[in-house]
Amino acid sequence: MKMKTKAKLILAIETSCDETSVAIVKNGKQILSNIIASQIEVHKEYGGIVPEIASRQHMKYILVTCKEALEKAGVLLEDIDAIAVVNGPGLKGSLLVGLSFAKAIAYVLNKPLIGVNHIEGHIYANFLDNKKIETPFISLVVSGGHTSLILVEEIGQHIVLGNTRDDAAGEVFDKIAKYLDLGYPGGPIIEKIALNGKKDAIIFPRPLTKTSNLDFSFSGLKTAVIYFVREKKKTKEKLQIENICASFQQAVVDTLIHKTLSAANKYNIKNIVIGGGVAANESLRKAMLETGKLNNIMVYFPSKELCTDNAAMIGVVGYYKLSKGFSDSFDIDVFTG
Amino acid sequence: MKILGIDTTTDVLNLAMTINGVMSFDFMMKREKITHSAILIPTLKNMLNLTEVKINELEGIAISIGPGSFTGLRIGLATAKGLAFSLSIPIAGVNALESYALQWKELPGILCPIIRARKGEYYFTFYKKRKNNHNLIRIEDYQCMDWFGIKEKLLKFDDSVFIFGHGLTEIRENNEKEQYPNNINFIIREQNPPGAINIALIGEKKIFKKENDNIFDLSPFYIRKSGAEAKKEKKQNSIFNY
Repeated sequence: MKMKTKAKLILAIETSCDETSVAIVKNGKQILSNIIASQIEVHKEYGGIVPEIASRQHMKYILVTCKEALEKAGVLLEDIDAIAVVNGPGLKGSLLVGLSFAKAIAYVLNKPLIGVNHIEGHIYANFLDNKKIETPFISLVVSGGHTSLILVEEIGQHIVLGNTRDDAAGEVFDKIAKYLDLGYPGGPIIEKIALNGKKDAIIFPRPLTKTSNLDFSFSGLKTAVIYFVREKKKTKEKLQIENICASFQQAVVDTLIHKTLSAANKYNIKNIVIGGGVAANESLRKAMLETGKLNNIMVYFPSKELCTDNAAMIGVVGYYKLSKGFSDSFDIDVFTG
Repeated sequence: MKILGIDTTTDVLNLAMTINGVMSFDFMMKREKITHSAILIPTLKNMLNLTEVKINELEGIAISIGPGSFTGLRIGLATAKGLAFSLSIPIAGVNALESYALQWKELPGILCPIIRARKGEYYFTFYKKRKNNHNLIRIEDYQCMDWFGIKEKLLKFDDSVFIFGHGLTEIRENNEKEQYPNNINFIIREQNPPGAINIALIGEKKIFKKENDNIFDLSPFYIRKSGAEAKKEKKQNSIFNY
């Protein structure tokens, strides 16, 4: 007779950047609740994330977000099997709010405290929608803070293959949008404007695509766009913002795809898993899926809602760590980079 | 009543427990490179073990809400909220300057507690005592100024003034040659936090009188705005300047 094992409930907390999020996740795949208090509106006025304001917002919303997550899931604190919390990388002051809160709850409940790496969370966000992805796979985590290629040999076994050497891909979207006075956050704004532009109107560089290593570099691309705009302004030519946005976006997409495919080919891997805020970009999704088809590689994305920072993805990692018997002691600290 | 007092206002972690208004433990540890978050729960766990009190025997959490180090305040409050929420017990926020003043309430005169802020400034206020019962009355707003500004205020008093708190050592070191009138008294102690024991005692009174805080609304008492907000305001207020 097959033994029925009790469902595992993880209370997950994410406060690494500008979203306060608490989720209840069942068995590492089912979202019972995933409450997100976004701070985008607050930071908009400053054209980017202000760390001290972010920390203050987390402090303001952490408890009410937690209460809502429990209520929406219909779960009592006593039912929770473990507390998973992001302890890095991210903004120090922001991380400390979530970590301190999580520790207190885990201590009172006498349940395991599990520190989770934010980047790992973005990879495993895919398990929430797709339920089953075979290892090994190549993962591209691409957001406002990170651009990394990771080889996941099996769950919990990761090898970092490459990182950005300067700006993250999402960061360049924000910076270009700020430079062109388009608003914040830059990703969705540029994506929308790019819909009306020609992606091959301007040929911007695809940095590091001619080298064999798997690192990224986006600051050169950023400079190329800024110089291009500056030259046009000098000659008083009309700026075709749509074409600039579309061509810039295409340069990022091409670079990301080229590097990810190189990684898959190099390690002979047939699964690609994408995560992070930039993974919500429709042209990246389309182009990556097409590339997958052409190369006989399965490509996975989380739903767009689960691409941006959220606690549910942290709950997935928490579940796998718990099932391997892993937990942290109360003296864990945050890490920023 | 068993009340836990938490103070992470300065670089000293201070945890205390009072049982019916009597101190059970009062533990202090200077934070070095690690954060208060790394030592707070481990310390609490040890102290409760030593006093043979179980965490779920606590009946209230008293937390120093500042003013003080922004990050420190949030670590303390996030921990306090996590404890009070999961234990379903009341929480009481206590002003750190008030807690300092309580340490020295027997002194005959005006009390001026200070706490170091950033950029060479200090949070401070003034208290005097009610004649009949020695209760403290705050006679000015909670403020933030540099030493020059505070000194100007001190010199206006004819009564005895006692100044104490966090950051006084550096003030005296930086202004070695300064002379003060006889009615101004400095009380300098190394590593003297606002005092978790006073936080617990004030908190106990609030909780006993059912004047505890709403756990969702309780916020750090920052006094100062974030740098970005202050800069923006300054810009907005100076549109007519040239």
